[in-house]
Amino acid sequence: MSVAATRPETIIELRDATREYRGHAGTVRALDSISLSVSRGEWLAIMGPSGSGKSTLVNLLGCLDRVDAGSVRIAGKDINTLSRKELDQFRAETVGFIFQQFHLIPYLSALENIMLAQYFHSMTDRKEAMAALERVGLGDRAGHLPSELSGGEQQRVCIARALINQPPVLLADEPTGNLDAANQQIVTGLLRSLNQLGHTILMVTHDPEMAQMADRIVELHHGRIVAEREASLAPHTS
Amino acid sequence: MKHERRGQGLSLPMLLRRSLLHRRSRTLAELVSLTVSAAVATALLTLYASLDLKLHHQFRAFGANIVITSQNAGQPLPPDALAIALQAAGPDSRVVPFAYAIAQMQDGSSIVVAGTDLTGARATDSWWQVSHWPENNQATPVQVLTGVRAAKALGAERFSLTYNGKSVPLQTAGTVRTGDAEDSRIYLPLDAFESWTGVTPTTLEVQAAGSTRQIQAVLERLRLALPGSNVQAVHQLVEAEANVVSRTRSLMLSSLVLILLTVAICVLATLTASVLERRRDFAVMKALGATQRHVGLLFLLEAFVLAMVGLLCGYVLGCGIAYLIGEWNFHTAIFPVWRIAPQVALLNLLVAVLAAAIPLRILRHLEPATLLRGE
Ligand SMILES: Nc1ncnc2c1ncn2[C@@H]1O[C@H](COP(=O)(O)OP(=O)(O)OP(=O)(O)O)[C@@H](O)[C@H]1O
Ligand SMILES: [Mg+2]
Repeated sequence: MSVAATRPETIIELRDATREYRGHAGTVRALDSISLSVSRGEWLAIMGPSGSGKSTLVNLLGCLDRVDAGSVRIAGKDINTLSRKELDQFRAETVGFIFQQFHLIPYLSALENIMLAQYFHSMTDRKEAMAALERVGLGDRAGHLPSELSGGEQQRVCIARALINQPPVLLADEPTGNLDAANQQIVTGLLRSLNQLGHTILMVTHDPEMAQMADRIVELHHGRIVAEREASLAPHTS
Repeated sequence: MKHERRGQGLSLPMLLRRSLLHRRSRTLAELVSLTVSAAVATALLTLYASLDLKLHHQFRAFGANIVITSQNAGQPLPPDALAIALQAAGPDSRVVPFAYAIAQMQDGSSIVVAGTDLTGARATDSWWQVSHWPENNQATPVQVLTGVRAAKALGAERFSLTYNGKSVPLQTAGTVRTGDAEDSRIYLPLDAFESWTGVTPTTLEVQAAGSTRQIQAVLERLRLALPGSNVQAVHQLVEAEANVVSRTRSLMLSSLVLILLTVAICVLATLTASVLERRRDFAVMKALGATQRHVGLLFLLEAFVLAMVGLLCGYVLGCGIAYLIGEWNFHTAIFPVWRIAPQVALLNLLVAVLAAAIPLRILRHLEPATLLRGE
């Protein structure tokens, strides 16, 4: 493949990352010294049984959480050295989130939910937000509240919101977990075109078929990477 | 188009309005508890501020608090005693003279007649139950106030009494009932009494207004001005007055504190619930890049808007409650006391700040990672 010729830039690098949760019943080691690097523009699927640490990993990469040991570098920055405030800013600029439960603000319309991401990032731009909504095929639903949208439509709004600030990294924790087959198709298609536009995508999924869309699949088990392979049908070659 | 309606820009006021309107019933509950807190503070502080005045006013109804008599019991006071006492007591005090004589009825039996300033007595002894006060001092026959027992003995409205062989026609204008000696007496205007009997006042009843200390000062002045007379405070009344006022005051103050604490806890519970309810929304905002300040400001502004609206409603409501309490308990109107408005505002702010502290803590410790995890 042509990619091998020029060594691609590493956007995410995890070194011996460990994350433990201290609860009443003792300590759970959700991630156990994981090392992983992701190139810019790569689409990575994270798989593994429930409780294996997938969400914990995604949260670390999304700067929503910090490691207890080891290091996380994103776009050249060591996350551990950032203050809380710097981390907030860094997150707004670097990462877009696509949630399984969509997490749209219930009292804001589809368009306003997208503008909210602009608002916290820098300033709102109605035209740009509208364009993002049109890109996910919801140009005619701009004024609708989340409660007036179907699950698939809400997930598309969520994707448009994740994209609006042009973050280099997209994180998707089971983006199609709550969707039917038809909507899953739409969302997968959206992710693929985003990846083709150069976005780095980290996606948690339980669905092997969905995982095959990615460039690479990482399998977690008890907080460790147990398998790592190229996906069989690399979409960008087709 | 529909999206035109909702598609205006995004601003803090707009986010606030949407959030408040979206959770209508929750907003209303928060508003109610803040209104109640302001109303309680207003009502109690208004009452507290008006209390001194009202209680002293009430105590006036119990009659004189200083009595001046001659040093030899039964002897008349010096002729200028009334004028001197009026001067010394000051404009806020009332001085009512009383002169007594024993006259004969037509059947020969005795009856006590008293000469007094009927207008003064009416103001001072407002606890007397009088059917009708004599109004015309110049009328003939002389209009008198007759005790209920005396009226029974006399049998008729028009009658004459004899003193020292001098007989005068009198007419009962109204009766008085006190359950005491007054019931067997006949009261007539001092002028008419003096020209009939030639007897001058033996007692001056002084009703001094104000605090215990002010009454004490009046007492001292009267003693200096009338060295030959016996000037005495009606001690029980003066002390009781001071006691009741100070006890009522501390009672009100402690209930104010207790009630405000209770209300603060209510507001606290409501605000905490409102944050917990929306912790996912706040977590999403954090994930979208909102800083701690953004999220805190959004919540605090919401609480502030509600506190201000609650303050306004509560102030009006509280003034109304104070007015009604005054009407029912003191039979006098209590009007808004403007100078307590800042205190009410401060108290309400304190309640709101206290109540917002815990929700703010919750907000600060919100972990988007835990809240937004796919389940
Ligand atoms: N906040 C927390 N406190 C304590 N333990 C936690 C917490 N979050 C996760 N864990 C534990 O850490 C481990 C990894 O959790 P994680 O959510 O990463 O799993 P997952 O792979 O995403 O599972 P699923 O597929 O069910 O979403 C689990 O054993 C879980 O119980
Ligand atoms: Mg998970």
